[in-house]
Amino acid sequence: MRQRVGRSIARAKFINTALLGRKRPVMEKVVDLTDLDTSHTIQPLLKELETVTTEARHEVLQSVLEIYENGRNPDGPTLTKEFHKMYLDVAFEISLPPQMTALDASQPWMLYWIANSLKVMDKDWLSDGVKRKIVNKLFSISSSGGPFGGGPGQLPHLASTYAAINVLSLCDNIDGCWDRIDRRRIYEWLLSLKEPNGGFKTCLEVGEVDTRGIYCALSIAALLNILTDELTEGVLGYLKECQSYEGGFGSCPHVDEAHGGYTFCATASLAILRSLNVINVEKLLEWCSARQLQEERGFCGRSNKLVDGCYSFWVGASAAILEALGYGQCFDKNALREYILLCCQEKEQPGLRDKPGAHSDFYHTNYCLLGLAVTESLYTCASNDPPHKIKCIPNRQIVSSELTDVNPVYGLPTENVRRFIHYFDSGLPP
Amino acid sequence: MEQYDYSDIKPLPILTDQQDELCRIMYTEDYKQLMGLARALISVNELSARALQLTAQVIDVAPAFYTIWNYRFNITRHMMTESDDTVSYLNKELDWLDEVTLNNPKNYQIWSYRQSLLKLHPSPSFKRELPILKLMIDDDSKNYHVWSYRKWCCLFFNNFQHELAYTSKLIELDIYNNSAWTHRMFYWVNFKDVASEVELADELQYTMDKIQLVPQNISSWTYFRGFQELFHNKIQRESEVVQFATSFIASVLSLPIDLPQDLPEIESSYALEFLANHWSADPRTQDSAVKAYSLLAIKYDPIRKNLWHHKINKLN
Repeated sequence: MRQRVGRSIARAKFINTALLGRKRPVMEKVVDLTDLDTSHTIQPLLKELETVTTEARHEVLQSVLEIYENGRNPDGPTLTKEFHKMYLDVAFEISLPPQMTALDASQPWMLYWIANSLKVMDKDWLSDGVKRKIVNKLFSISSSGGPFGGGPGQLPHLASTYAAINVLSLCDNIDGCWDRIDRRRIYEWLLSLKEPNGGFKTCLEVGEVDTRGIYCALSIAALLNILTDELTEGVLGYLKECQSYEGGFGSCPHVDEAHGGYTFCATASLAILRSLNVINVEKLLEWCSARQLQEERGFCGRSNKLVDGCYSFWVGASAAILEALGYGQCFDKNALREYILLCCQEKEQPGLRDKPGAHSDFYHTNYCLLGLAVTESLYTCASNDPPHKIKCIPNRQIVSSELTDVNPVYGLPTENVRRFIHYFDSGLPP
Repeated sequence: MEQYDYSDIKPLPILTDQQDELCRIMYTEDYKQLMGLARALISVNELSARALQLTAQVIDVAPAFYTIWNYRFNITRHMMTESDDTVSYLNKELDWLDEVTLNNPKNYQIWSYRQSLLKLHPSPSFKRELPILKLMIDDDSKNYHVWSYRKWCCLFFNNFQHELAYTSKLIELDIYNNSAWTHRMFYWVNFKDVASEVELADELQYTMDKIQLVPQNISSWTYFRGFQELFHNKIQRESEVVQFATSFIASVLSLPIDLPQDLPEIESSYALEFLANHWSADPRTQDSAVKAYSLLAIKYDPIRKNLWHHKINKLN
């Protein structure tokens, strides 16, 4: 039935667009943005064409600007931590409803998003009982200790293994769980995913090859201390080709459009390889900074696309990595913080969200919180230190939400990253 | 849809036996039955018509279930060799995939599956791909996967003949469509060595016309700069380009900067940014660059003030 409905919608769209031509007429008009009734709108009278792009943005602007107008309270915006904790705790206490079946192939991701959100808000909010359950679940997905798939009986996948290793780092070696990770096996598997062009397949046989796969592979390998020259061969060349003329990075080395998610993957990968000097960093700074929108105050993921809370991390962390490595600060942290706290939270519904009007979910909760942590810290790194030693300093120009310090390369609390990597200091087992 | 008999297959459990499993999904009975069957067939690696049919059912309810896509690929690769007519067998598979594609615009797996099929195909055709690509872009003109796949096709088939006209049409519909602008750059990068001076001049003019139409558009300005960087040794029209950009900034460079509220509005902050970048490259014009960046910081693009200050520091 579902399929039939989908088909008739597709057919209707086909008739509308392919047979009847344009989706909607293109009209030239001068839009006066001050009509939107905002005292702080800076944009003057602009010559604008009304298209799908401007239409979508104006809709978002209306709700965002309304929030900024009404949301001025004397204490400033605050993170409703306990409220969000409720949302996350419940997810770890009850079974998930059938509509969550859509995440059936992403089960380690759910564990990471939820556990990490709790940890970022308060380092003591992930209880030992929950850690044990996380470990049980992961090793029921892969009893051999990795690599991990999306659930029991599923093929190993780079993204699932990335999420699994991340969440294991949050479990503090409870019951010796870190010793159960089969690093040798994961290493051999990573090697088997390597492609001649320097990329990694997300999974054998049919899997995408893109910057996301590279980041997952490098992050797994760096955290487990199995990052060898053999594994990274050709990766730099691939990443270099993914920087587009825009300054950000795309998914594949063929002039793909620069995108926040892929830009983070490439930037963090280059940081792990300690090779940011091989790309055009100035252009990357410009691109990251251009993602912040004057009126919305948050980031969009691509040029002329809409603001979205998750890019607070994808773009914010890319910028934080550049800041840590001494390339300079390129965005307004206070403004981004306002977007996250005022537009990504809601009074009636716990959890964080993409933008006003959207529902909260685990993914946005995690990346909005990570982004918030980025705005409330300054980052530095000693010149010869690897990226897991990036230091967070409180950003004194900003009111603190008292979040756990976060490492922008790994999207995990700094302390957990350090302890995890240190545990595997001895290098690759024979 | 043909009916197959699966009664000889004992479904495998899809849940762990853990009592208090974290984030356990309450699957429907239908889902458990279907996935249980699929897992049983996968475990014995049955490569058959009924297995193929079952993968279609699974993909219909769980399109992101990548394990099933891999299984389907193994079945297809096997059945293709058993079939009398490989070409029509694979074309049928592509027809099925078109349907799935239309119903799942945001899915990741479809596109790598499609690439794998084309690589298997004895006589793949770009022409066959064009209608589905067009439908998908008509539905969402910025669909990232579709644009990336389209580029892959151009390279795979070594065919770029439709691309410029196609992006022109999309830019006509939505001048802010950054995906279309970047696809245009993809075209030029691949024709870098053979592009004639006339073609380059036409393209520069095209971009300037689009900027004229809507001066405050990041996509066209970024393209304008990127295009000149790509062809820096073939395009020498510096003074003309500077004059063009200057026409959007209402002579603010010659005004005093100490009273931001008295500065006039300008048509394009991107024009000012373009000029600032251009002037940074030459020591003789660096003072102008500093002033342009200062104007951006205090008045025309203040949310990016940290970047502008960084630029000014680099110049000093």
